[in-house]
Amino acid sequence: MPLEATMIIIDNSEYMRNGDYQPSRFDAQSDAANTVFQTKIDSNPENFAGIMTMAGKGPEVLVTYTKDLGQILQAIHSASSNVGGVADITTAIAVAQLALKHRQNKNLRQRIVVFIGSPLEGQSADERNMIKLAKKLKKNNVAVDVIAFGDGIEEGESNVLKTFVDNANSSDNSHYVAVPPGPHLLSDMVISSPILAGDSGIPEEAMGDAAPAAGGSNFEFGVDPSLDPELAMALRMSMEEENARQVAAAAASGPSQPTPQASQPPAPTSSIPAPTQPAASSDAMDEDEEALLQQALAMSQQEGGGAEIEIDEDEEMSEEEAIARAIEMSMKENQSEKK
Amino acid sequence: MPEDERSLLEFLDSSQLNCLNEEGEHTLKSLLSSKAVNTSSDTYLLSDVDEQLLLNVTFNQSVRVRSLIIKSNGNPEQAPKLIKLFINKPALGFEDVEDASEPEAAQVIELTEEQVKKGLPIPLRYVRFQAVSSLHIFVATNNGDDATRIDALDVFGIPAAGVRDLSGLKKTEE
Repeated sequence: MPLEATMIIIDNSEYMRNGDYQPSRFDAQSDAANTVFQTKIDSNPENFAGIMTMAGKGPEVLVTYTKDLGQILQAIHSASSNVGGVADITTAIAVAQLALKHRQNKNLRQRIVVFIGSPLEGQSADERNMIKLAKKLKKNNVAVDVIAFGDGIEEGESNVLKTFVDNANSSDNSHYVAVPPGPHLLSDMVISSPILAGDSGIPEEAMGDAAPAAGGSNFEFGVDPSLDPELAMALRMSMEEENARQVAAAAASGPSQPTPQASQPPAPTSSIPAPTQPAASSDAMDEDEEALLQQALAMSQQEGGGAEIEIDEDEEMSEEEAIARAIEMSMKENQSEKK
Repeated sequence: MPEDERSLLEFLDSSQLNCLNEEGEHTLKSLLSSKAVNTSSDTYLLSDVDEQLLLNVTFNQSVRVRSLIIKSNGNPEQAPKLIKLFINKPALGFEDVEDASEPEAAQVIELTEEQVKKGLPIPLRYVRFQAVSSLHIFVATNNGDDATRIDALDVFGIPAAGVRDLSGLKKTEE
């Protein structure tokens, strides 16, 4: 739970009109900025955050320090009608640093989160200049996170933004995340990245490299286990219980299953003596179940003989058999009733 | 040295200790958190990006500071040379202190090699350090190396009269 004052810098250059992120780059970015704000504020009751834009006529601080999401939303809304110009990342960071310096609670660590979706130009593209800026931030104990998307992702070997973050990094407090366009949401990628890991109470090492690859739907139950370990565990346990229940039900389904449809093919084997009494005593039923189970086991062992058959298939087969037997039995029941 | 003068490290507010441009593993906290003069040779404060350091030492009550010890055992080139002292300015950054001179800074001192090496007390202008709740030591230059190293720091003086020590009360909530 870091104690932090955060300044979120959003990109409102012309490049934000691009629609390669859903619904547009600017809206995807606003969503992600909201997520960052909310996570930072929630992680510690003393945390504050502000927001500023870096393109347009020049970098502009929209909200200094607040805990109020409404102010952030309002600021983003006003910025959305002010999209234009070229991003000036170096000046924006200098302004953000100044804004952070005048925070009310001096115990708060300073952090700048930069969203960049436009290519670096002029001063910002000069690696030496950026390294100098990074060193200055590091000297003043300001952490920097960079979220690159769209045109902000640099092609090829030289990655000025990555170098920038590496130089500003002290004891692993700064991170660089690149989010290419795709079916995922920008905010989902940000929340599962190391940038917000510390605020969600997950050790950053646990996030590791898995985070950028996560698409949001690649998880076992459609839920990122690292985001909500308890939910994931509950889902897994429920899955296991359901499996166990199905196996048990399949074995015990004999006398109880009411499926009197004749369209199903008869059971492949009918060597077991079928129950003759429709309303058997509980002892008799237990014996029935036992016999069925034995039968099913014997069957699967016979068929799976020498060949390598997975356990799942075994279970499936015994299940099918059990159903078939159930059908057979219920038909016999009907017959005996008719007699 | 007057009789009632003693080390003020016992009045440190260790939760408020911080230092700008310190190296991740050699911090001011490690140097002072024991509230005693550091004697271990493994523990020292080292600067990170360049040779400058800004040490913020906060006390839990008002104190009068008479003298200071700054000791550097390592390479003589890493010893601090020009230091500027500030009092009661909790929000200092490097840009505030780089161009500061007296009277903005409470005192600017050029350290001699002997003072730093042997850890001799550096006398301060006592009248300017009468109600110190936080002391800020800006190391502007050292003797030539890229990094500055400080092995021990001690502050001498007396607690300001009439101020009650509340440090005993704080501990109950932790």
